[in-house]
Amino acid sequence: MSDIPRSTLLNLGSGRPSLQVLEAGDGAPLLFLHGAGGIAAWAGALPLLASKYHVYAPLLPGFGQSTGLECLEDQFDLFLHGFDVIEALGLDRPYVVGESLGGWMAAEMAAVRPKDIGRLALAAPVGLWRDEAPVVDLFGCMAHELAPYLFHDMTIPAAQQMLGLTQLFSTKDDRTQEQIETLIGMSRGFRTVAKFLFPIPESGLERRLWRIKAPTLVVWGAQDRFISPMYAEIFREKIAGAEVVQIPNAGHLIGLEKPEPYAEALIRWGQK
Amino acid sequence: MKFNWFHLMPYRWLPEDFRERYHGVWVDLPNSLYDPERGHELYNEYLDMLEYADQQGFDAIGVNEHHQNGYGMMPSPNLMAAALARRTSRAMLLVLGNSIALYNPPTRVAEEFAMLDVISGGRLIAGFPVGTPMDVNFCYGQNPVTLRDKYREAHDLILKAWQAREPFAWNGKYTKLRYVNLWPQPIQKPHPPIWIPGTGSIETWDFCAELGYNYSYLSFSGYKRARKVLAGYWDRMAALGKEPNPYSCTFFQQICVSDTDEACEREWWPHVNYFFNKCLHLYPGMMGPPGYMTEASIRAGVVAQAGNTSLNMGGNKSWKELVDGGYIIAGSPATVRQHVDELAQSLRCGHLGVALHIGSAPMELTNRSTYLFANEVIPHVRSIWSEWEDHWWPRALPADKREQPGSHNAAVQARAERPSEVTS
Repeated sequence: MSDIPRSTLLNLGSGRPSLQVLEAGDGAPLLFLHGAGGIAAWAGALPLLASKYHVYAPLLPGFGQSTGLECLEDQFDLFLHGFDVIEALGLDRPYVVGESLGGWMAAEMAAVRPKDIGRLALAAPVGLWRDEAPVVDLFGCMAHELAPYLFHDMTIPAAQQMLGLTQLFSTKDDRTQEQIETLIGMSRGFRTVAKFLFPIPESGLERRLWRIKAPTLVVWGAQDRFISPMYAEIFREKIAGAEVVQIPNAGHLIGLEKPEPYAEALIRWGQK
Repeated sequence: MKFNWFHLMPYRWLPEDFRERYHGVWVDLPNSLYDPERGHELYNEYLDMLEYADQQGFDAIGVNEHHQNGYGMMPSPNLMAAALARRTSRAMLLVLGNSIALYNPPTRVAEEFAMLDVISGGRLIAGFPVGTPMDVNFCYGQNPVTLRDKYREAHDLILKAWQAREPFAWNGKYTKLRYVNLWPQPIQKPHPPIWIPGTGSIETWDFCAELGYNYSYLSFSGYKRARKVLAGYWDRMAALGKEPNPYSCTFFQQICVSDTDEACEREWWPHVNYFFNKCLHLYPGMMGPPGYMTEASIRAGVVAQAGNTSLNMGGNKSWKELVDGGYIIAGSPATVRQHVDELAQSLRCGHLGVALHIGSAPMELTNRSTYLFANEVIPHVRSIWSEWEDHWWPRALPADKREQPGSHNAAVQARAERPSEVTS
């Protein structure tokens, strides 16, 4: 087990995206699809998953060193892109774990080509909508206001670290060049997220859920304030055989807040 | 120099504790604060102000588009322009403008602008803003990442629709129309002058230069803070080999004129205070959704963000600070004259948008200001830039060829109202 992942560039061909892929661990392949924040550090559940799996974590265009967002015009392009990545990595019916944005993408992929996803775990995925439980507007608030929606306990180091990063969005003109690059990198990632999820992160996944054939685990932080845990039940009802696990004392970013029970649930599901 | 009298149409009765109770004036401000009967009064009063500006000899009267906004009550500027087209016949009609990426299909804008041009006898100036994030992204749900691409496609479609003389098919990325065939066509050929409002991005300057459009710099922070931005504009025009024609540039300035400087502060402060310290209560969380700005603009903004212009719009400022900082030009006609002259020379703008109604200002005060500006300011500054030709002005029908509202009724009244010929 290594805490430092290998980083490689995966070129999907001329006129197509070029992706940074983080990889760590041995064992069966696990494709990890990140959420709206990208993968800021190889932390939380990722090293734990890499102790059992060969984790492949491609970054979407706009995140890290990945480029080529302009090649993905719409959501359907994005889902097909997911399969291009699976193919380019040489994976066959992999176990796909997706968080939030990545969970939505994983579910859509599994609905589009049900036979090509071996196993599925969705961690607090977006993609559904109920008027009585609106998903927080990720795009219409200030960065520092968002953090309390993402964590149950704002005192933990991961939450404080995120709050620190959001201070870069202040209007003060005292940023270092490195901080400016961090800020611009974050804006670039959010741009990718907005392209596919603005203004409401729902575009018909619910009517496609029945198509999913992969054994599906739905994981939710019991105290998720970004997207209500009630959505887990809709996934469970609409995907045949789906199971739900709630992680106590966790908010939306389960992997950063409660990495052990979360990784344990994902690993257990993979071995079922 | 030319002067357009520009109205924002703010709601006049935002509560005292508005800033403390609500997180912004835009997007999600509860509409329970709006009283439609007061709105009835306000729309009619504001249209009267614009008509008075026409009577007082302003070159143009102007309206704009905002949505779900407590200081801008014109979700449809075309309705206001239509009302003005029928009640005025002299001033040009500046609609600044229609956020063209919002309309589906964008030929709707081509049609409505053509209607306005035809009704008004060719008096239309067509504004094509991209639109603020609050308006286009948060109120109208446009994706900030694809907005500019969609805007450009809408622009190309409207321009082609105005000029084509045969039906054509439009197979765009955002709009697909098998038959585009505009009825009516605008009077002005090849099309009405186009003004592009912007807030200082290089992309917009290049767009205006490429297509020969007027660049209208919109800001509530006044002429002194605009110098740097417009210096950038003129540098860019020089770099692109464009002649430095001042009429390619419009600037907007809030102005209060009273009989004396002292009277001006006394009469106008409550209304200026209402605007800067109440209306401009903007929530920063909705001012920059991801993708709205290009990376180049973010980079430029991040580096030169000292007193971030988008956020530094005059809140919590005193009368003296607003006047000294040039946020407003205020005082006697002599004082205002001097500042307008300084503004024109320092910014090199041939067109000045004059916001003579501010915040909660009532009718009489506003009309007094309009009267003084028209009669005691404009004549003294009119000749600035007279050596340049204005290529950005409507080519309207000559005044004596324009229809006078009601003239057709008058012409036939005697015959139409003659006694019945049926004998009993």
